[in-house]
Amino acid sequence: MLDLQGYGPRLIEGAGVTIQLAVLSLILAIILGLLTATAKMSRNWFLRRTATVYTTVIRGVPDLVLMMLLFFGGQIGVNAISDMLYYNYEIDIYINFNAFAAGVITIGFIFGAYMGETFRGAFMAVDNGQIEAGKAYGMSNALVFRRIRFPQMMRHALPGLSNNWMVLLKTTALVSVIGLTDMVRVAAEASRATHEPFAFLLPVAAVYLLIASVSEWIFVRLQKRYDIGFGGQ
Amino acid sequence: MADTPTPLEVRNIKKRFGDTEVLKGLSLEAQKGDVITLIGASGSGKSTFLRCMNLLEQPDEGELFVHGDQIRFKTTRHGREPADWKQVVQMRAKLSMVFQSFNLWAHMTLLENIIEAPIYVLKKPKKEAIEHAHALLERVGLSARADAYPAQMSGGQQQRGAIARALAMDPEVMLFDEPTSALDPELVGDVLKVMHGLADEGRTMVVVTHEMSFARDVSSKVIYLHQGLVEEAGPPADVLGNPQSPRLKQFLAPKY
Repeated sequence: MLDLQGYGPRLIEGAGVTIQLAVLSLILAIILGLLTATAKMSRNWFLRRTATVYTTVIRGVPDLVLMMLLFFGGQIGVNAISDMLYYNYEIDIYINFNAFAAGVITIGFIFGAYMGETFRGAFMAVDNGQIEAGKAYGMSNALVFRRIRFPQMMRHALPGLSNNWMVLLKTTALVSVIGLTDMVRVAAEASRATHEPFAFLLPVAAVYLLIASVSEWIFVRLQKRYDIGFGGQ
Repeated sequence: MADTPTPLEVRNIKKRFGDTEVLKGLSLEAQKGDVITLIGASGSGKSTFLRCMNLLEQPDEGELFVHGDQIRFKTTRHGREPADWKQVVQMRAKLSMVFQSFNLWAHMTLLENIIEAPIYVLKKPKKEAIEHAHALLERVGLSARADAYPAQMSGGQQQRGAIARALAMDPEVMLFDEPTSALDPELVGDVLKVMHGLADEGRTMVVVTHEMSFARDVSSKVIYLHQGLVEEAGPPADVLGNPQSPRLKQFLAPKY
């Protein structure tokens, strides 16, 4: 029988951290991805350049390195700035980076770059006539985006988005290196303490699989929703 | 009614794509109730000219008046563009376009297509927009297809649906960009019949077409374009019945 030797509640808490981290990172990644895709398709040279540098750097450096750079480097940077600002005063402030926020920001930033490429391809797949029809009927660019480009782009983006999400979900396991207690970290601790790795790692694997299956189900439904009108009856 | 502003007037429109000048100074004035047909061989610039009228293409030179309002332009390093996009958006809402490839929004039902711009652009109450849409669907003979998606309809049905979408805006001028060119021959008649009806009720229309019978029977003025210039223009009886230029004669001659 499954015996978690008292680690059950902590594992569940860890699973909660994993899910929250993953969902918040996903939201940030989607926002950054949409911005990046828009910037890459813009006629403004500076925006295009910035977006390209962003995707190139992020996609070229390992996730783990980025995460430690942002967490430790960010902490040093912020404290250096605060030291400089308060140098003349008798105040010594030491800011502790919130590991959870750092995790969300790092993962969101990494996957924003991948999402950017996914969205860019999806936007380019939308038939230009659909957009022209919107413009010809007096829609502003914002309205065309909201009512036509976005809903039509989504059906092309969803396969890539779902793929990115699955990888993102598993990337959250890296946050234990910056001291965040997600379920992988709890399982690792428990395994060391009890010398029974399978008792903890197998349930953790099962939880990941469960999240992945639920997501798969959601993505299939979303795909059906956005495919309406495109051949599928 | 002498004081009603001219619905649409364009003056001296010029447009180049790269090194090719496709429009070399074209003007047109559509008074209320006019049906103006633009004819010409492919490459004569007629579609580009039409697309300059609602600024889907940006003319490099020329002036544009919709309902008496002059569209303001400015020059940027990307070329000439409208100075005030809000003005363009308002202007476009007064002109509805019917496209060669229909361009009904694929992710919406026919009814949703028709009520979309009235609700979101003209801010009509939804209930009113739906009632109007049903009346228009009846008129183009598509009452039974209100809940169909464009992909489930024939080309002819899609184009009649697109005309209903255009009418729902209660436009000042309707622009038709080769509305029957993408249709199977047996479906052309239904679309032309609907357009005939519109002309009869006094709609102001600018129509790019290859349908000479439509140009002859319906239009108040025919403009024959050749390489970005007006070669001949006037009432259909003159232009089509008694063409002067050898090019137009050849254009109108039976092809087989």
